[in-house]
Formats: sequence, C-alpha cells, structure tokens
Amino acid sequence: MNRSSLRHLTAPLIDNNPITLQMLGICSALAVTTSMSTALTMSLALTAVLTAGSASISLIRRHLPQSIRLVVQITIIASFVIVADQILRAFAFEMSQRLSVFVGLIVTNCIVLGRAEAFAMRNPVWPSVLDGIGNGLGYSLILMIVAAFREGLGTGTLFGVTVLPLASDGGWFQPLGVMLLAPSAFFIIAMLIWVIRTMRPSQVEADDFPIHDPTASNLP
Amino acid sequence: MTGSAPFVPRRHDANRLTLLALVAILPPVSVALAERGAAALGVLGVAVILAVIWAAVFARVRGRPFGWDSLVTALVFAALVPDAVPLWQVAIGFSFGLVMGDLIFGGRGRGFLSPAAVGLAFLLFSFPVPDMAMSGMAARVAALGAAAILLVSGLLSWRVVAGFAAGVIGLSFSAIIADVGAFVPSATLLLGLVFLVGDPVAGASTNVGRWAYGLLAGALFVLLRLAGGIDLPAIVFAALLASIFAPLIDQAVIWANVRRRARRQRDV
Repeated sequence: MNRSSLRHLTAPLIDNNPITLQMLGICSALAVTTSMSTALTMSLALTAVLTAGSASISLIRRHLPQSIRLVVQITIIASFVIVADQILRAFAFEMSQRLSVFVGLIVTNCIVLGRAEAFAMRNPVWPSVLDGIGNGLGYSLILMIVAAFREGLGTGTLFGVTVLPLASDGGWFQPLGVMLLAPSAFFIIAMLIWVIRTMRPSQVEADDFPIHDPTASNLP
Repeated sequence: MTGSAPFVPRRHDANRLTLLALVAILPPVSVALAERGAAALGVLGVAVILAVIWAAVFARVRGRPFGWDSLVTALVFAALVPDAVPLWQVAIGFSFGLVMGDLIFGGRGRGFLSPAAVGLAFLLFSFPVPDMAMSGMAARVAALGAAAILLVSGLLSWRVVAGFAAGVIGLSFSAIIADVGAFVPSATLLLGLVFLVGDPVAGASTNVGRWAYGLLAGALFVLLRLAGGIDLPAIVFAALLASIFAPLIDQAVIWANVRRRARRQRDV
C-alpha cells in the first residue's frame, strides 16, 4: 500500500474525522453511546455498511445516470443495512434489541451517503474501500471514546465490567446520572472537538462573532 | 464605547456590574451562612476558590484580562445549593456550570445561559440532591433586598419579574390547578427568580420580549413545581428552558417591529 492510499485510511481518524470535523452522524453518536458494547456493535455495523456501500457505488460509478444517482446510492446502502440488521438479529438478538431502530437508521446516517456522494462517485474501488474503512474507523473511534466516558462515569462499568464500584453496591463511586442522558454526549463530543482543534489549529473555523478586546477598545 | 455587556446602560462598565451584583448577593449568602453555619461555609469556599482558579486559567489561556465576575456565579451557586450535597459534587457541578455555561463562550456576557443554573442543573441531573429549600423569613427578606438593589440599579428587569409573577398567578388560578395555596414563595424561589431567571445574560433583551420571557419562566415554574413538588429543580429548569427560548423571543419581537414599521411606511 503506497503512501497516498494509506492516507485515505488514516486521514478520517483525526484530521478529517466524520464526526468532529465533518459533523456527520451526530444523532447515532448520541443514541447508542450509553454503553460501550452497543457503541462497538453500531461502529462495526456502520463500518461494514460504509465499506461495502462505497465499494459497490464506486464499482458502478461510470454507469450511474446523474439524475437518479442518489436513488441508486440509497437503494444500495439500504440493501446492505438490511443485511447487517438481519445478521445482527440472527446472531446477536439481544444486542439488536438494545440497538432497536438505530441499525436500520444507518440508511439515513449522513456519513454513508456523504462518503458515497463525495468520494466513491469520483474514485476507483480500492481508494473507496479504504476511504470507507477509514471513515468507519473515525466514527468508531469517537463513538468508543464517548461511550467510555458515558458508561464509565454513568454506571461505573466498561463493557459491563465494573471498574468503579458503585456507592449503592458498597463501593465508593457515585455515578453521574447526567452521563446517561443524551445531552452529555453533546458535551463530550464538543469537548473532544475542543481538544482536537487545540492540537490541530488548522481545523479551527473563523469566528462568526470575534471576541472583542476590551483593552484595545476602551480608548475614546 | 465599552467592550462588553451591550444590553445595559452606558454608565455601567463590567466592573461596576460585577460589584453591584456582588453587593446584591451578599445578604442572601450572609443569611445562608448564619442559618446553616459551617456546611454553607464549605460550599461557599469551594465555589469561590474554583471560580478564581477557572477565571485565572481562562484569562491566561485566552490572553485576556482577569475578571472577577465568576465570583458572582460562585455566590449565587452557593446560596442555592442545599448544604447536604458533598463538597466534591459541589466542585464538579460548579466547575461544569462556570466553564460550560460561561467561560467557554468567552466569559460573562457572551454566553446565553446563566452559569449558576447550568451548574445546578448538572447537579440535579447527576446526583440525588436532597430537598432543602431555604424557607426562613430572614432568607426571604434577604432575597427581596437583593431584588431591590438589582431592580433599582437596572440589572434586573422589572418586566421579567412582573411577567414571571403574572405567569405564576395566571397558571395557578386557572381551572386546571386546584391547589392555589401551594405557591407561597420560598426563599429558593425568590433567589432563583432574581439571580437565575433575572440574569440579564440569560434573559430576553427587548422590552416586550422580557414580558414574554418572564411569563414563560413563570408558567414553566408552576408546571415543573406541580410535577416535582420541589422548588429548586423547578426554578432551575424553568430558568434554563426559558433562557434557551429568550433569543427566539427577541427575534420574534424584532421581526414584529420591523413588519409594523414597514407597514407604517407603506400606508403613509
């Protein structure tokens, strides 16, 4: 694998992360991150659908009429989502119950259609596969970090294994109930974005409303 | 032109606003200290120390002058937190409120929520907070004193207070609610009204909008108070929800005004 194709794989991890830079797929990042196991299952399902979808769409990109390309893209993606959902129901029924509609909603996840439209329609199959895996991993990375904070601080467990013994079970840890509610995912994602943009200032967007410097403006 | 606080008369600069708010919150805090003693002192100490530390950290990171306004947040927070809450929970809740509700937006006057309300909401969501509303007469008088200072200095809009009262009374006396006597205002309600709902940063900033904002907060308070039965969460979440709607209310008032003036132009 040469350097530029490796770049398709690694760029979406931090530099062009689908959640923290492209701001796509936020809704599922809120919904499935109360426990790490659901977040991991969701990440795997999305990565699989994204990779397969990008590969197929890239394969037929020269034969797709412009006017119906979105319809075809969504049809292909929806087919893969149904496959993923059925596999989950067959082999991990309880997990599929816990994820409820969210596997099905991968169809509407903006990352999948976004990558199909922005990348797979214009690039050969192999880079599209790498791009799909890379964006899936970038999504998974953020999901796992958010889920680790939410499950760890909200229930004192990681993957269901107790790491912080709860005060109610004779331990010392008082769980933060707010972590189990959807707003906490917003806060955690926002703080992740803050950290990433502090480390990578090139991602910082221009201020809509720049902070006024009072020391400069108090002059008459 | 002064750099901050664009919605108050020119004669106030940011330091005078901070000083006025500090003077206003001192009587309620003193009463809390006198009534509850060491426990309240601990909460107050933690909040004040954290306020200074966070303000200093953000002043340094952003390269901006240090401001004392986080002290006001600390005192308001300390006056409203029940003193049975462990100090580490106070520390987490207060830090969250101050940083995420205020400093992260660039400091006092640049956010859109009352940082004390954000911190209290975090505490209420996260931990089982005991119901210890302040109800003594002294606390009520102190809260009214604070209200008077802020009203006279123009930091608290009388329209918000009047709207809030109208909302509470209107909803209490309407047919759906039988128990009218349930709303003898506690000191928690008064303090929350003055410092959380009445926070000029969080509220609407058009005159009509202030009435609507007060009405909304009052109605929300009655609904939440009826559902929960406790004053503190009711007033905190009413303040938060209403202040989220405040910019929309202002926008609606401005649109209505623009339309009215445009029609007047056309008709002449």
